[in-house]
Amino acid sequence: MASKIPGVDEAREVLKKNKIVIAGVGETEQGKIPDKSSFHFLSEASKIAIEDAGIQKSDVDGLVTAFSLVEHTFMHCTTFADYFGMRPKFFSSIAVGGATAVWMAAEAAMAIASGQAEVVLCVRGDNTLSGISSSGMVALIREMCHAEFEFPYGLTTPGGYALIAQRYLHDFGATREHLAAVAVTMRKHAALKENAMNKEPLSVEDVVNSRIIAEPLTKYDCSIISDGGAAFIVTTEKKAKELGIQNKLAYLLGMGQGYSHQYLTTLHDLDQIYNAIHTSGQKAFQTAGLSTDDVNLAYLYDCFTITVLLELEGLGFVPKGEGGPFALEGRMEIGKDLPVNTHGGLLSQAHLGAMHHVIEAALQIRGDAGPRQVDDADVALVHGNGGIVSAHSTILLGREPLS
Amino acid sequence: MAEQKSYEKPLPEFRPETKPYWDAARNHELVIPRSKTTGEYFFYPRALSPGEDMTEDIEWVKASGKAKVWTYAIHHMGPTKAYKGDPPYVVALVETDEGVKMMTDIVDVDPHDVQVGMEVEVVFDDVTDEVTLPKFKPVK
Repeated sequence: MASKIPGVDEAREVLKKNKIVIAGVGETEQGKIPDKSSFHFLSEASKIAIEDAGIQKSDVDGLVTAFSLVEHTFMHCTTFADYFGMRPKFFSSIAVGGATAVWMAAEAAMAIASGQAEVVLCVRGDNTLSGISSSGMVALIREMCHAEFEFPYGLTTPGGYALIAQRYLHDFGATREHLAAVAVTMRKHAALKENAMNKEPLSVEDVVNSRIIAEPLTKYDCSIISDGGAAFIVTTEKKAKELGIQNKLAYLLGMGQGYSHQYLTTLHDLDQIYNAIHTSGQKAFQTAGLSTDDVNLAYLYDCFTITVLLELEGLGFVPKGEGGPFALEGRMEIGKDLPVNTHGGLLSQAHLGAMHHVIEAALQIRGDAGPRQVDDADVALVHGNGGIVSAHSTILLGREPLS
Repeated sequence: MAEQKSYEKPLPEFRPETKPYWDAARNHELVIPRSKTTGEYFFYPRALSPGEDMTEDIEWVKASGKAKVWTYAIHHMGPTKAYKGDPPYVVALVETDEGVKMMTDIVDVDPHDVQVGMEVEVVFDDVTDEVTLPKFKPVK
């Protein structure tokens, strides 16, 4: 049993008092879209989310953005505010890799709870696929690892995950088929998502036999790259009612972070990663007064198949090392034990960090996930991981507020 | 005399505090920084010890050169154009006898013969006139 984390009672009181909600969501088309700039995607996504909430742009008084791999700006949020035509009371950029989108919701919540703003637009997007130059690509790889003690050895980003995957296979006697099963499930779900980039069904054999990038990972073990934007609106239940928002609201029940490392050189063992994931999850669970048993839907950062297994296990859904069989048995599929990434994830839908994971969780909670809708969508967990399973963030969203 | 082909692969982006490491490598010596306050080795080098002590009082200790493969990944694609056409190569994290991890390449071996737990020892690759990269090969 995990020991009580200091501060969770206070965090619970803050979330209970404010009744923070996601009240609107927006996604642009996703794919190879060379004729739109990064800020075009951000503006478009913001507009869609504002219209989804049924509010006015002038109702939005807070802004949280992420970063761009293409636009050269070191003040991302304020630059976007300028482009979009906003003068926010609260502005912040979150830059923790894949842990960003999940933490953007937490950042918005903290801003609202401390009176900085009442209606916060959280937006992330980029033209990563079309807009990044080959030298930009190299710079990106270099920035994902130590430029002095790792990059000279020819490490690639998939290679970094392959190092982790290889150790996982060794420690638990897992196989490449266990990893491949994650990709198969993601692809199955993507077929139900209208703007998903890859919908052709995949089998375990397809994944295992596709082009090897860095053993044991093949092309289909790796996420896609895309152009696109996505946004969500965070506010309070009270403000949502005041503004006449018609959407069902998704309540924020808990949030947490966990830190493992940044450079693989500093990693002691896989337990260091598991502990970071566990801490992140426990902070959210203990704040909400919930456990893995209460979660109906899990949104797990799937930049590579291995990360899903580590998160599934680290968060406590299955024991360590048993994520592989869970995936291979199809138990992450819609209609099975624990639906994971019902939208197809980074492996098949699109890659905008965890934005679509947050949005899909909110859509499920409010009953608007269409063909992907799960019957008992009461509590959803969303987990993001940045770096090479380095930095972790978790939120819990629910149909009912904390009581 | 064969023409020296220029090295196009990424070279380390040096920070001032790591100079003793790279100077030793040029002399085909592997050194690992250690806090003089706690006696603990750490890697990668930082200007201050990453421990509670935060000391700048650091010694550079000649390492045994021996390590074990903690994990490895056979890369079929490299990060830059300079790797194009190269055969697959092995990037690994090795755990040295001193207890630190280093990222490296495992060389002088068929990539598919590399295993987790394999014993390796340091070798030195003079990639340019100024830069030597420590790498590891299997202990025979």
